[in-house]
Amino acid sequence: MIRFEKASVTYPGGVHALRDITLQIPDGQMMVIVGLSGAGKSTLIRTINGLVQPTSGDVTIDGRSIRHARGRELREIRGRIGMIFQTFNLVKRTTVLNNVLMGRLHATPSWRSVIGRYRADDVEIAMQALERVGIVDKAYVRASNLSGGQQQRVGIARALAQQPKILLADEPVASLDPPTSHVVMRDLQRINRELGITTIVNLHFLDLAKVYGERIIGLRGGELVYDGTAAHADENVFRDIYGRSLTADDVLEPVPAV
Amino acid sequence: MTAATPAVQRPPRPKRSLAVPAGLLGAILITLWAASEQFGIGFDIAAILEDLSKGSLILTEVLQPNFAFFPRTIEPMIETIQMAIIAATIGCAIALPAGFLASRVTAPGRISLAVTRSILNVIRALPDLLYAMVFVTALSIGPLAGILALIFFNIGVGAKLLSETVDAVDRGPIEAADAAGSTHVQMVRTGVFPQVLPNYVAFSLYVFELNIRASTVIGIVGAGGIGNTLNAQMGFFNFNNVGLIILELFILVFVIELISIQLRRRLT
Repeated sequence: MIRFEKASVTYPGGVHALRDITLQIPDGQMMVIVGLSGAGKSTLIRTINGLVQPTSGDVTIDGRSIRHARGRELREIRGRIGMIFQTFNLVKRTTVLNNVLMGRLHATPSWRSVIGRYRADDVEIAMQALERVGIVDKAYVRASNLSGGQQQRVGIARALAQQPKILLADEPVASLDPPTSHVVMRDLQRINRELGITTIVNLHFLDLAKVYGERIIGLRGGELVYDGTAAHADENVFRDIYGRSLTADDVLEPVPAV
Repeated sequence: MTAATPAVQRPPRPKRSLAVPAGLLGAILITLWAASEQFGIGFDIAAILEDLSKGSLILTEVLQPNFAFFPRTIEPMIETIQMAIIAATIGCAIALPAGFLASRVTAPGRISLAVTRSILNVIRALPDLLYAMVFVTALSIGPLAGILALIFFNIGVGAKLLSETVDAVDRGPIEAADAAGSTHVQMVRTGVFPQVLPNYVAFSLYVFELNIRASTVIGIVGAGGIGNTLNAQMGFFNFNNVGLIILELFILVFVIELISIQLRRRLT
């Protein structure tokens, strides 16, 4: 269970990225966060693994506060939270397998990482993660030689190799074309359902949010303005979240009016 | 065809900044000042050309290398290559962690960043010749003093080049490593090191090449290698022999450059 208790984030420039967020995310849920850019989606996701610290309030995971965690404790919490990024954040000059093995760092002693000798068990976990996203054949290919969709699947495999309880995805399909976007979203959905990993996804395409989100929350100006099921989230709800009428840019594939 | 009326008026062209021409003019004036007879060192092209004609005697001899001298250059030349390899290996091995400590991106803290940068600045401020003089005085004449001098020179150059490369890496993998619960060392090793590895290899070869060239200078103060031979032959006014040594050095540096181009092509 992830619990936000009146969590606020104010950046050094004085920007209020999150205001008084109170939120509970039960284990195993697939939650989608929608909102305009700058609404605080990325910040909210990053407060869960402590990449951004709340300036007031608290975020707890299974009762453990992320806010005061430092050093070993923080790394331990982060080790159980996988993260997927809009720009994939792969090391392009090294192999796919080496990238996925980054997911095993939290369980690997530093000296092993320095000489680049991972345990056989960890290599096996990484290979299984690649199998789950269907690109194990690319294990020894350089990451730069993969297409965008394949690179994002490497990103997912890296997160899975952590054997996480929680998966965070920050705009995972924003750099991909529509068909690939669906492939990646289906991967995330399958992982959520089959492995029971709590999955939190930032999206700005409303049609994707409705299709894949079990629960949708809406952010506007750092405030929580909607929290409900995907079935409930109709056009009026999204209009309210965005604070303006919707346009074709807000959906991945505009549905032609029949 | 008439162009459509634009909906938005085009902005007026901004006024050109005078900074560039002013800076250029300033640079020219300062150079003239430095070269002037009255305030500077009296840089006179006519006089240089006149002196060069006197030097042409030496130049003609240098351009006619004495190949009979070759056997006597083999041993010191090998010594120079050995010195350059040892110093480049040790110097670049030390420059690797030093370079990471000296970059804002990978330094573990502000204090260590400031301390490492200060130390490296001091190391780099001293020229290779000065290091050679210090170690020759401290240890006696010979290649060991030369190797130590080159090591310090290599740490300075290698760490500087590496830290500037690290400053420019893609930060994405760093965020990914942090998010995956890595330690600082693991983040540097897995997220940054593979990004800069090809550059690091290229720097190391460049440093090796610099060492071959530097060995001629540090040999003058007795730090071993071909520099000693070169200095002696200049002292005896055997400029045909000097010409041969210069030719050999030229070929050596050229070959290293070829190897380094091949290696870099394979790595990137």
